[in-house]
Amino acid sequence: MIMRPGQQLLLPANPVFIWLSLLGALLANMLMNMGLWGRAAWTPDLLAVTLVFWCVHQPLRIGVGTAFCFGLAMDVHQAGLLGQHALAYSLLAFFAIAVHRRLLWFPVVTQAVHVLPLFLASTLVEVVVRLIHSGAFAGWSIMAAPVLEAALWPVMSALLLAPQRRAPDPDEDRPL
Amino acid sequence: MPLGTLDRSPPPFFKQGASALSKLMVFSSLSVLLMVADGRFHWSQPLRTAVATAIAPVQWAVMQPIGLATYIRQHVTSLESALQREADAQRALAAQAQRGMQVEQLTLENTRLRELLDMRERTSAPAMAAQVLYDTADPYSRRVVIDRGLRHGVQAGSPVIDASGVLGQVTQVYPLLSEVTLLVDRRQAIPVLNARTGVRGVAYGLNQPNSEGMELRYTLSNADINLGDLLTTSGVDGVYPPGIAVARVTRVERRAESTFTRILCEPLAGMSGALHVLVLQPVSHEPRPETPAPSPAPSARRHP
Repeated sequence: MIMRPGQQLLLPANPVFIWLSLLGALLANMLMNMGLWGRAAWTPDLLAVTLVFWCVHQPLRIGVGTAFCFGLAMDVHQAGLLGQHALAYSLLAFFAIAVHRRLLWFPVVTQAVHVLPLFLASTLVEVVVRLIHSGAFAGWSIMAAPVLEAALWPVMSALLLAPQRRAPDPDEDRPL
Repeated sequence: MPLGTLDRSPPPFFKQGASALSKLMVFSSLSVLLMVADGRFHWSQPLRTAVATAIAPVQWAVMQPIGLATYIRQHVTSLESALQREADAQRALAAQAQRGMQVEQLTLENTRLRELLDMRERTSAPAMAAQVLYDTADPYSRRVVIDRGLRHGVQAGSPVIDASGVLGQVTQVYPLLSEVTLLVDRRQAIPVLNARTGVRGVAYGLNQPNSEGMELRYTLSNADINLGDLLTTSGVDGVYPPGIAVARVTRVERRAESTFTRILCEPLAGMSGALHVLVLQPVSHEPRPETPAPSPAPSARRHP
């Protein structure tokens, strides 16, 4: 495998951790929707960030089908149009898999700039779908969501890669 | 380098499954199909219920810390404000007591008069108390979720009221929860009656990004309507019981170029702050009275 110079060699990803992180992101989304910010349109979608992250890092494990299923769960939770998030997440997963070989050659901050168009496209898909369906528009603040999601990319990368960055042979004198 | 550092099994060579593009084709067309089935034909009810049941444990887990935070906040609320609220409630109760006693008498009188006129008895719909759990997060619609569902006997289409007026209508029933579409949702309409003039109309939700309210559409520009008029349910729809307060007129725009007046009204129920609500049974589910005998008197001349 050709790697970027200076890139750290990572431990294999634990499938249990992948699924738990996706479930945790769904939970965090629900918490933001139900408790913290209600129905504000600008709330960043943590599940979308996590899905793109795993589609980029583990495209053999997480793909379009997983994204579709989590999209359905979000649709039912938000009580919106059934299939709206499913479509947006499927597109997101496809484009994430399309860029996954190229993306990891860049440093993390540049990666965030590269994933911004993906989040922007998925938000636009949702807006257009709702405009066609019922002519409803949520206001321009919804455009803040993809920017916030891209800004969260470095944070989520650090968090989700942390288990793979542990030392391969644990040393008692050097716990991390 | 120890063996655990790398994935031990190489990726499969031949059995790689479908390509991402073909998967995207399948799943995006499936999504579009679902959207059409949900938005136009309302076929997706079983799937929605199944997914809702699947994510119910996750939702329950999320509700717990929120419930705890609310509980703690209510406990920390100072004694003074609690006393103040109690005094307010007592005052309101005293003010209502007089009216309540009058209502008893008036109801009796009304019943007798109606018997005299041989009209249908006005029944009061059975009600079920419920609590609003949260606003749904979809920024394009206005719905809330209440903690009563199919198991408690909620029917789709039931009207929901709070202490000050009509809040909305149950549009989706799950086993333990229900979704209530609020009156300000742009796809919700309610037949109303102007309590001052007795003119009937239909009020539609008006849900824009920054303002929300209702609009009384199709009122002719020479209609008698003033600021502050109270709109109540008219009872002609077979869903809402008659006489429940709905909204108050806040703005009347008479435009020369249009046949209709643009009338904006503000719902009386607390659209964003309602916590305890009543779920009524739709009027059409009540037992119908016997068909009345045809009256011998000639019917009144109808207006064209």
